[in-house]
Amino acid sequence: MLLLSAPFETTAAERPRPLATAVIQLGAAAIAVIGIGLTIGRLLPGAGVVGDAIAGAGVHGGLIGLGWLIATEATPGWMGPVARIAGAVLVVLIASHLGPWGVLASMLPPAVLWWEARRRAGLRMLGVCGTRLSYALAGLTAGAFLGGHLLMTAALTFGYHVQTGGVRGYLGAVTYDVGANVLSAEWLFRGVLFSLLWRRFAFWPAAALSTALAVVRYLMDPALPHSADARAGAIFYLGALGLVACGLRAWSGSLLPGYFAALAFFVAYRTLAP
Amino acid sequence: MIALPLLLLAAIALALAVGHQGADSVLRHLYLVPTLWAGLTRGAFGGGLIGGLAGLLHAPTALPAVERAGLTSQTLDGLLSIVLPAAAGLLVGRLVDAARGREARLAAVLAMQRCLHAAGPLQERLTDVAEELRVALSARRLALMVGADVHTALLASVPTGTLVDPASAAGWTLRTGQSVTSRDLAVDPRVAAVEPQDPTPLRGLTVPLRSGAGMVGVMAVEWAGELSRATRAAAEELALHTGLVVENARLTMRQLRFGEELEEKITAATARLVELDRAKTEFLSVVSHELRTPLTALQGFSELLLRSAVPPEKVHRCLVYIHTEACALGRIVGELLDLSRIEAGRPLEMKPERIDLDLLMERNVDLFAAEHRQHRFRWTPSPPGVELRADPDALDRMLKNLLSNAVKYSPRGGEVVVSASPALDQPGMVEVAVEDDGVGIPAEQLSRIFDKYVRVAHPETTAARGLGLGLSLVRALAEAHGGRVEVDSLPGKGSRFRLLLPGR
Repeated sequence: MLLLSAPFETTAAERPRPLATAVIQLGAAAIAVIGIGLTIGRLLPGAGVVGDAIAGAGVHGGLIGLGWLIATEATPGWMGPVARIAGAVLVVLIASHLGPWGVLASMLPPAVLWWEARRRAGLRMLGVCGTRLSYALAGLTAGAFLGGHLLMTAALTFGYHVQTGGVRGYLGAVTYDVGANVLSAEWLFRGVLFSLLWRRFAFWPAAALSTALAVVRYLMDPALPHSADARAGAIFYLGALGLVACGLRAWSGSLLPGYFAALAFFVAYRTLAP
Repeated sequence: MIALPLLLLAAIALALAVGHQGADSVLRHLYLVPTLWAGLTRGAFGGGLIGGLAGLLHAPTALPAVERAGLTSQTLDGLLSIVLPAAAGLLVGRLVDAARGREARLAAVLAMQRCLHAAGPLQERLTDVAEELRVALSARRLALMVGADVHTALLASVPTGTLVDPASAAGWTLRTGQSVTSRDLAVDPRVAAVEPQDPTPLRGLTVPLRSGAGMVGVMAVEWAGELSRATRAAAEELALHTGLVVENARLTMRQLRFGEELEEKITAATARLVELDRAKTEFLSVVSHELRTPLTALQGFSELLLRSAVPPEKVHRCLVYIHTEACALGRIVGELLDLSRIEAGRPLEMKPERIDLDLLMERNVDLFAAEHRQHRFRWTPSPPGVELRADPDALDRMLKNLLSNAVKYSPRGGEVVVSASPALDQPGMVEVAVEDDGVGIPAEQLSRIFDKYVRVAHPETTAARGLGLGLSLVRALAEAHGGRVEVDSLPGKGSRFRLLLPGR
C-alpha cells in the first residue's frame, strides 16, 4: 500500500518534460512527409495513390508519434519506433488501394504499435494490454449501436441511404480505418491523452477534454463532408463515440474495447452515402 | 440486473416501430419505465445509460420532424422527449446512489461499533473495522493506524501485510494532522513510487482520525479508478466516526482495565483488613497476656507484703521482683503509647546528641548477656571516625528491640553479634548491625516484618513473648532520624538487621 510504504515528500516538484524540441522535430518531419506526398500526387498524376498514402502516413504517423512523445516524455530513442509505425501506416495506406486483398495488411500498424508499446513497461499504463471477451463484445455492441443509429437517423432525417455497391472502395476505407484513422485516434486521444488526464483529474473532465480534442481533429479532416448537417452529426456521434470509448477504457483498463467500438462504428459509417 | 431494463427498452422500441408510432405518440413516455427501473436498481450509471439509450432510440422518430417542420412546439416536445429519459434516469439514479451511500455509511458505522465492542485483541477488531470501511467506501486497500507515533501505532490493513515507512504519507498525516489527497499515487511527484504499470489510476487519501481528545490515528485509503467528491466526503465522514468509535473503544478498555485493577486492589485491601483484624484480635490477646503477667506478679508480691510478716531479706527480694515487673509493664505501656502516637500521625520527638556507640553496644550486650545465658553475645568496637548524632533513648530502644528480636528468634541459643561501622553501600550513613544465627525469616515474609502486629510464625518461636510491635517501632524511630532499617535473612541460617542512620 503506497500510502503506507512509499516515502512521501511534500515539496517534491514535478519533473520537467523536454517535449517541446521533440514535438517540433516530429511536426517538421510530419509536415515534410505530408508535403512530399502532396507534391508527388500533384506532379505525378499516375502516382496519386502513392502521394495520398505518403501524405496520410505523415498525418496519422504524426498523430501516433505525438502520442508516443507525450507518453514517453520524449525519452531519447523515440524516432525509431515512430518511424517504424509510420512506415507500417504507409504500407497499409498503399495496400488499401490495391483491391480487396489490401485489407489483409490493415492489421500491420496496430501490430507494430502494439509490439513497440509492449516493449516499454511504462506504456502499459496507457491500456496497452489484452482484454476479456465480454469487454470486447461490449465495445463492438456499443460501436455497432451508434453506427446503426447513425445510419437510421441519417436515412430518416436527411434522406441518406446505405451504399450497396463499390466493395473495393468500401474495403479500402475500412482498411484505412483499421490501420490508420481509428488507430491513431484511439492511441492519441484515448490511450495517451485520456489516460494521462484521468490520472490528474476525475473521469468526466478527462473524457470531455480528450473527446473534444478528438472531435476537433475529425472536424479538421478534409475528407469529412462540409455540410452543416454532416458536421452536426459528426460532432454528436464522434462525441458519443469518444465518451463511450473513454468509458470502455476506464471500465476495462484496455484500449482494445474502445478500438473495437470505433471500428464497428466506422464500418457502419462507411456504408453511408448521401 | 441492467439486462432486464435493457430488454424492456428494446421491447418498447420495437413495439413503437412496429406500431408505426410517430414522434408525438403518447407511448413514447413508456421509455421512462425501464429508465426509472434502471435508475432505481443500478443508480446513476444504470439510469443514465438506459435513459440515454431511450433518448437515442426516440431520436430517429423525433429528428425527422424537426428537419421537416423546424422548431415548433410539437417538435420541441419531441426533442425534450429525447433528453427527458436520460435526465430522469440520471437524477433518480443519483438520488438512489446518495441514499445507498448514506445507508452504507450508516451500516459501516454500526458495524464498526459492533466490531470494536466485541471481545478480543484490539488489533483484530481494528482489522474487522478496516474491512467494513473498505467495503463501505468501495476501496481497493484501506489501513487504520491508531496511536500518536508511527513506530508504536497499532496498524490494521486490508489486505493485510503492509509495511510502514515512517516517512510515508500516512506517517506525515499522523505527524502533522493534515490530510493528503493524491489523484494518482503512481505518478504523484510527492510519492516515491515505482514506475506505474497499472492502466487504472490509483487514487489515495489519508485522513486524520480525531476525537474529542485530539488525534487518535490516521486512515489511509486507496481506490483504483474513480474517486468522486461524494466518496471522498464519505471517507472523511467515516474517518470522523472511526476516530470517535476508536476513542470510545479505548476509553471502554481503559475503564474495564481500571475496573479490574480496582477490583484487585479492593480484594487485596479486604484481605489486608481481614488480616489486620485477625492481627488486632491476636494483639489484644497478646496484650492481655503481656499485661496480665507483670500485673499478676505485682499483685501477688504486694499482697504478700501486705498480708503477712515477711522477713527483711525476703521483702527486698519481693521489692526487686515488683520493680522488675513494673519496669516490664512500663516498657509495654511505653510501646503502646509510641504506637498510638505513630498511628495518630504525630511525629516522634527526637533530641539528637552525640552518641558513644561503643558504650551503647557494650552496655546493651552486657545487659542481654546477663539475662540470656544460653546465647553468646559479642560486639565489635566501631572503627575510628564513626560518629553519630541521635536521640540516645530512641537509639537505645532500637538496639534493645533488635537484640530482643534476635534472642526471640534464636530459641536454641546461638551467637548474637552487634557492630557499628560506616555503611559502605550508603555514603554518609552509619550502620548499626545486629546479626543472629537463629531460625531466619522466609523471603515472602520479609516485606511484612516491619508492619505492626506482625509476628512471623515458626514452630520453635511460638512460646516467645511479644506484641509484634518491636520492629515496627524500630522502623518508625529510624525514619524519625532520617534513616531506615533493612534486613537480610535466610531461613535456618539467621538474620542480619541493619540500622542505617545519617552520620554527623
